[in-house]
Amino acid sequence: MATVLGDVDLDLTKPSETAHGAVPRTRTRVEGTYYLFLLPSLILFTLAITVPAVIGIFFSFTNSIGFGDWEFVGFINYIAAFSDPAIVQSYLFTFGFAAVTVIVVNVVAFLLAVGLTSRIRFKTGLRTIFVIPMVISGIVIAYVFNFLFSNSVPALGQALGIGWLSESILANPDLAWIAIVIVTAWQAVPGTLLIYIAGLLSIPGEVYEAADIDGAGKLAQLTRITLPLVAGYVVINVIIGFKGFLNAYDIIVGLTAGGPGTATRSIAMTIVTGFSSGDYAYQMANATIFFLITLAIALLQLALTRGRSVL
Amino acid sequence: MEGDIDVPSPDRSFRRRAAAVLALALIGSTLGACAGAGGPEQVRFLLSKPEAIPYFRELIAEYNDSQNEVEVVLDTASNLQAGFLRGNPPDLGLLNYNLEMARFMERGALSDLGDMPEADRILPEVQDLVDQYATYPGRTSVLPYSVMAASVIYNKEIFEANDLEVPTTADELVEVCEALTDAGVTPFYGTYKDPWTVAQGWFDYTVAGMVDVEAFYDQMRELGTEVGPDSEVSFQKTFAEPVTLMQQLSDACTNADAPSKGYGDGNLAFAQGEAAMYLQGPWAFGEIAKTSPDLELGTFPLPMTNNPDDLKVRVNIDLAAWIPEASDHKEAARQFLSYLFQQDVMDEYNAAQLGYGTTTEAAPVTDPRIVGMKEYYDDAKFYQGPSQEIPLTIPAANYMQGVVLGNDVETTLSIMDADWARLALRQ
Repeated sequence: MATVLGDVDLDLTKPSETAHGAVPRTRTRVEGTYYLFLLPSLILFTLAITVPAVIGIFFSFTNSIGFGDWEFVGFINYIAAFSDPAIVQSYLFTFGFAAVTVIVVNVVAFLLAVGLTSRIRFKTGLRTIFVIPMVISGIVIAYVFNFLFSNSVPALGQALGIGWLSESILANPDLAWIAIVIVTAWQAVPGTLLIYIAGLLSIPGEVYEAADIDGAGKLAQLTRITLPLVAGYVVINVIIGFKGFLNAYDIIVGLTAGGPGTATRSIAMTIVTGFSSGDYAYQMANATIFFLITLAIALLQLALTRGRSVL
Repeated sequence: MEGDIDVPSPDRSFRRRAAAVLALALIGSTLGACAGAGGPEQVRFLLSKPEAIPYFRELIAEYNDSQNEVEVVLDTASNLQAGFLRGNPPDLGLLNYNLEMARFMERGALSDLGDMPEADRILPEVQDLVDQYATYPGRTSVLPYSVMAASVIYNKEIFEANDLEVPTTADELVEVCEALTDAGVTPFYGTYKDPWTVAQGWFDYTVAGMVDVEAFYDQMRELGTEVGPDSEVSFQKTFAEPVTLMQQLSDACTNADAPSKGYGDGNLAFAQGEAAMYLQGPWAFGEIAKTSPDLELGTFPLPMTNNPDDLKVRVNIDLAAWIPEASDHKEAARQFLSYLFQQDVMDEYNAAQLGYGTTTEAAPVTDPRIVGMKEYYDDAKFYQGPSQEIPLTIPAANYMQGVVLGNDVETTLSIMDADWARLALRQ
């Protein structure tokens, strides 16, 4: 084993050694190689994420409409954003939606994972079926469900004579968000499910044997053994899920276009209008605020979960 | 791996290779420039209206074959904002003209075409439509090519079967709706699921039927941050009456499932005769014809007052030509623009797309489906949709969708006033 690794090291460092032949060597050979591994991602991340973000933050203090002349306007965009009910409403909606969805997704995915890792028939086939939604594009899913909610479900409701089912849920300003939660969850459950399956499979069988001997029932095993042992995976799924749901965009566009009225406009949707309608600087300010809020959440979650071995 | 190590210094050979590639690229680009100067000059022509692409693709082929100096290249997908931002816009654009496009013009990004003979052929009242969004001092930088006129589409068979005449006053409209309802026919087909259909039809037709749209927005732009409950004009003051009527009409005279139906559902249902009237533009005719090619349809402006002189039709500049300042091929682009603006070329396009001509000698429209709007168009009794003059950043279409679904009119309009004032503050 050691010799194999040594050979690999030798092979990889050869080119870099000669490449920096003229430069005084301040680093060890191994470190230089590892930096090379990081380089492509670092360059791409800097060019595609960091640089545009910094440019965007810069322009949030101007009155630019995306091209042409502009001048600095100080914090006017931020002041206007904080007093804009449309933006405030989009924050309330998006955070409420993300919180509900993350709970729904994790409960459903966890229960499915428990079922799919237990001793049942057709396990592999079932796992494959449950993962299918993950590989379909969000906008396609949204349009299919749009049709189901607008036509199929009301038709079913009428046929069965159920009043509340006969009207499209998408046309009801108070209930349209539920449709968005359902569709988002339908798409997000598989990814979460896979992580839970991995977590459940990592629990050694011996602990269940010991629990059996101690006389614990299936429910007690679930709450006393399984849950505590996959707690780390729950944290990961909640963080990743919540962060992802805050960016809700394609499914909402395909389902409600932010409607009825403005009931389901997400933060990402308001930010995107800045590009199409010459409100670039203002929506950059909105995006900066959004960035700071998510950064705060990330730091909070990091502080809460620090010390857990799984992270 | 082994093979790599055998090479004495792979990095040096890499550097050599990189240098060679770079040199080749440099030579290539210079050669390209030379070829550009010697061969035909390339003009990038941006046209994104899907229905128009086949017609113009043929025209381009004809033009490229007819001479050797200019080669027109069709571009159907470029992002305009990015193009102007990078200083690399198309050399000639033939696009829908709206508030968003007007921003480029307002900032001087489009060159002056006022000296071209084509500019003198444009109907003055149509050229005025361009100026309604924005102007740039001393320039005529946008030439309208085709105008779409929109109003109420009605099913002639249903009207005849019920002995109904086209209404020209608000009272007559109410009578028509009542007669149809009594006969068990849905008067209007509503498609509230798609917010744009509410803005385009219900909001635009009702508001412009009662309000002088241009004068209103001139004042609104002047007031800017002062727009509010106490300003001289405002959405909540000036639009309250028409929007309230819109809410009543859309509630009383449409299909019960309008909130669940979208544009596609509407075209299908209307083609199948499920309603007598439909608030859509001429673009819907093609879709309706897919289901019922022989359905007899007509158009009339929605009467909102009891004075027939107030009747107007909604128009939008479906295609307008412009040449950016940043283009390096302005002269060549102008040559092709003149080719496009030949009267028979324009007439053929407008006849095929149900558009109205923009020039003084344009052929009159004859299609029975849109001929009902001709007298209004000829008398310049038209307006650009009031929803089109609200920047997209204010979600007016969504607000109006909320109103037809039952939201309070006054509250919604006061929110729009506040949005307008906030936008004026930051821009």
